[in-house]
Amino acid sequence: MRVPISWLSEFIDLRLGPEEVAEILTMGGIEVENIDEPYKNLGELITVEILEISFPEDLKDLVLCKVTDGKEVFNVFTTAKEEVRPGLIVGLAKPESLTFGYHKVEVKTVKGYKSLGTFLSPYEAGVGEEKSKLLIFTPDTPIGVSIYEVLNLKEKVLELAVTPNRGDVLSIFGVARELSLLTNWELNPPKINPFYSQGEDFLGKIEILDPEGCFRYAGRYIKGIEVKDSPFYLQKRLWLCGLRPINNIVDITNYVLLELGQPLHAFDWEKVENQTVIVRKAKKGEKVLTLDGIERILSEEDLVIADFSKPMVIAGVIGGETTGVSSETKNIFIESAWFNPKYIRRSSQRHKITTESSYRFERKVDPEGVILALLRATELIFKITSVETFSKVLDVYPKVFEPPKILLTKTKLKKYLGFEIPFKEVEEILKRIGNIDKKSEEEIEVIPFSYRQDLSIPEDLIEEIARIYGYEKIPITLPKSVLKAKGLAKELKLEKKLKEVLTALGFLEVITYSFIDPKSLNKLNFSDEDFRNNFIELANPLSANLSIMRTTLLPGLIEVACYNFFREINSLKIFEIGKVFFRDSQTLAQEITNLGILLMGNRGREEVWYEEVQRFDLFDLKGYLEELFLVLNLPIQFKLNSSEPFLKKGLSYDLILEGHKVGYAGEMKNLVLKEFDLKTQVLVAEIILDPILEKISLETKAFKRPPKFPSTFRDLTCIVNKNIKIGEMLEYIEELKVPYLEEVRCLKIYEGPPIAKGEKSVSLRFIYRAEDRTLRDEEVNSIQEDLVQKILIKFLAKPR
Amino acid sequence: MEIEKLREEIFEEFSLIKNLSELEAFRVKYLGKKGLLTSYLKELKNLPLEERKSLGRELNELKEKLEELLKQKEREILFQEEDRELEIDLTLTGKKRDLGNLHPLTQVIEELSQIFIRLGFEVVTGPEIESDYYNFTALNIPEWHPARDMQATFYLKNGALLRTHTSPMQIRAMLERTPPLRIIAPGKVYRCDADIRHSPMFHQIEGLMVDEEVSFSDLKGILTYFAQETFGEKTKVRFRPSYFPFTEPSLEMDIGCVICETKGCRVCGGSGWLEILGAGMVHPEVFKAVNYDISKWQGFAFGLGIERVAMIKYEIEDIRLFFENHFLFLNSFK
Repeated sequence: MRVPISWLSEFIDLRLGPEEVAEILTMGGIEVENIDEPYKNLGELITVEILEISFPEDLKDLVLCKVTDGKEVFNVFTTAKEEVRPGLIVGLAKPESLTFGYHKVEVKTVKGYKSLGTFLSPYEAGVGEEKSKLLIFTPDTPIGVSIYEVLNLKEKVLELAVTPNRGDVLSIFGVARELSLLTNWELNPPKINPFYSQGEDFLGKIEILDPEGCFRYAGRYIKGIEVKDSPFYLQKRLWLCGLRPINNIVDITNYVLLELGQPLHAFDWEKVENQTVIVRKAKKGEKVLTLDGIERILSEEDLVIADFSKPMVIAGVIGGETTGVSSETKNIFIESAWFNPKYIRRSSQRHKITTESSYRFERKVDPEGVILALLRATELIFKITSVETFSKVLDVYPKVFEPPKILLTKTKLKKYLGFEIPFKEVEEILKRIGNIDKKSEEEIEVIPFSYRQDLSIPEDLIEEIARIYGYEKIPITLPKSVLKAKGLAKELKLEKKLKEVLTALGFLEVITYSFIDPKSLNKLNFSDEDFRNNFIELANPLSANLSIMRTTLLPGLIEVACYNFFREINSLKIFEIGKVFFRDSQTLAQEITNLGILLMGNRGREEVWYEEVQRFDLFDLKGYLEELFLVLNLPIQFKLNSSEPFLKKGLSYDLILEGHKVGYAGEMKNLVLKEFDLKTQVLVAEIILDPILEKISLETKAFKRPPKFPSTFRDLTCIVNKNIKIGEMLEYIEELKVPYLEEVRCLKIYEGPPIAKGEKSVSLRFIYRAEDRTLRDEEVNSIQEDLVQKILIKFLAKPR
Repeated sequence: MEIEKLREEIFEEFSLIKNLSELEAFRVKYLGKKGLLTSYLKELKNLPLEERKSLGRELNELKEKLEELLKQKEREILFQEEDRELEIDLTLTGKKRDLGNLHPLTQVIEELSQIFIRLGFEVVTGPEIESDYYNFTALNIPEWHPARDMQATFYLKNGALLRTHTSPMQIRAMLERTPPLRIIAPGKVYRCDADIRHSPMFHQIEGLMVDEEVSFSDLKGILTYFAQETFGEKTKVRFRPSYFPFTEPSLEMDIGCVICETKGCRVCGGSGWLEILGAGMVHPEVFKAVNYDISKWQGFAFGLGIERVAMIKYEIEDIRLFFENHFLFLNSFK
């Protein structure tokens, strides 16, 4: 909310400058976000001197003026033929600037003549009423400087961020009242001449049919007025607060809203059928053309102000076109009401309109401020236009507001704040927010003032006391509590362990959005029945490519790969641990934590000089996963040839834990990557962590004692058919349960000359060790020989 | 006399040795099986006893001396050999190794969590897809409440929503536990907002302490400790009254701008202060929602944005950097 200092000072004796006032408000809980200087925001409005004038024929009514700002000489044309003359110093709005009347200045071209700006009238400069004359300066005025500097105009406006509980601060007077509460500076409340409370008997009818929606409805008519532009001082105040002037009547309702925080509405009284104002729920399907030019279809949830036959406005939210004040209006009816905030909010949300009025009603207006605002508006109308007759105020107020009685005890206050404020001081503070009744030395009853709609429970009073006393003065202590400790939950431990191992393996962690593009699931080629198509859609996504909750981490990882690849980062080794989300008939959603891994480009850096650049391959990925499973002690198996539709079958695995698929690993299909617009190969893996969590034990593992006796090894190089899988050979050897054989490693595989086509040479290393002694050579030789024979026979292998 | 001459000859030749092959040739010449010294020693047996004795001693001394010198010389040459020019381009850079690294946000979450873990807080987590009840209603933000405007909410087509803050974890944690309790809940939260200061997905940490006596002064104490642990011992803090529907009294904590030390600069918008977190005493309505006896228990809660802390700590201006995951960005948080 915008609070011009000049307006604020009408209601409070400001003893400090705007910056200090801002600081006091901020530290009192009314945050001042900025101190604005609206004149400065208009842009370059400067003084210029007219050097020459000419009247080119083709410009007809325009005068061409050659002007200077002291630096440059340029042309400006104007219609003010009579006023301009050489040597005159005038105000100029340069292109791109904004005038007081919200007019954006542009370079104008007429018949090839260019006008670099517009001469200002006092009105367009925002300094006076006059619209048809030029703003002229005395001859000694310096040129090329801001007109506001010359005129010494310094309007400062506080920009407040008022929290939603403080509806009472949403007005200039409300801010003054709050400032007075925080500082004890003297407040000057608005005083209304009793004359404006009088008037003729109200000829018409006001009826509240929905007392739940409208607690109080007051109004009066004023006849014989003239609708025209508001005087400048009124327009300027609206302008300082960011509102556009419309006509004097509408401006006055806005002015009072800004000043007192009570929204008002003016109707054209002649258009109110039968002079009957009815507050009721809308009927389903009823329509009203609102002031923003939209025909709104109403529902039974909307509260309307209707006349005999039709809804006229959506109550407290927005006025209607047909019954609004126009230039022809002579007689008006002004409404001042107290609506149920819930109703207002419901309509405002349903119709997606927030107005100055709905904003205030939602945040609760002062039930006892309704009449004051009406009188104030009357006073202003009398001030700026002629009035023939006016009615008394008709105030329909079926159930008078009853403020809460809040009981606060000394003990509670002390326990809550953790220290004691002298009770005398507490009393003094409470007196400033309501009427107090000291029940005993221990208890005070407070009846808050009607505008303090935010106060209803003792805790609210405690906040007021702390706030006015000063948060800064409250001591800083540490809590006393019973020691109670609990370790990390298992899922957090697992995540932590995974992150440790993966970073130790050289991976970078990434974090990507939880929402993805539904198209990415199509690109991944999932079948209709695939569980990853069971996604949840956002009702109000930021954009179509962020419109569903991810069911796999893969799209996010690929996007990171793309983002980097387009920026000349060709190699990546990344992981993400995050949630994926599935539709669930029983709960809001099924949330599952996944681990995703992506490898792109080279294993090391590109600068290998004399060696070959090594690209990541499937066995890098498998190796990382094996290491991970080893550390976590997880019996996950690599099932050959994944069923994932986006992986190359021949270069992929499904990851199996105790018979259940928990993930996949492999190289992505080129076509899929092409559709993602990634022009390089990537390897990916994804593991569902939830089933792992059930199986895993994160307890301390038994350590492995280093062997006491040395091992010895024997190598075998043999030639086998190319189709024989190393895994099968190792498995066969393992099944033989060869004595003392500790480990078998496949060292080398070779295909090509001199090995015959269709065959390959395989080198295996066998490591033997006894736990209790050093093995003798002959012993090992005989075991090895026996083993070699078996292998050769089993795999039809030839020794090499 | 002959031996004197021999010794001189030998030492002169020895001094000329430059490499291992010359050394070997020298050894063969004098000490080899057919070497000069060896042959002299062999001939000793033909000499009369006296002469044999004295000459023998001298020759043996010479031989030993020579062997010793050769050993030294060989070591010397071997050392020199390894210092020779290898024609390797020493100007090449080292072979680069990429360190693994956690995302900066994870690092900040971990750092903040550790601060509270030291104070005995338990870390809890909860769902990111929430019901309106947990995200708003149970936190004293009923449907019609204008405070809902403070958080632009993403709704899902199934009627649920993406949590707009970590505060629903207060409710869940209290329902799952009995007081007294101390928890922190880090996690992702979502709001429909996107510019250089706002991300539709970001992270918060929620804290909650419920006990019999825990007070507003204690809240100030815990938050001051937290700020100084996170931003440095000398960090200034200030507390401003504020409003959250689920706390009363409520506050916001600012820290003295880390860039200008409260003098006012571009980062803090000239105010000298940076807004860090919101907090307050748990509102009785919240306790009622979880059936805690408000005559016995009271507590405080706080919530802060992780990105905000990270942006201040590392002077990052654009929040989007966190989610673009540029290799060089991620790599700079080692």
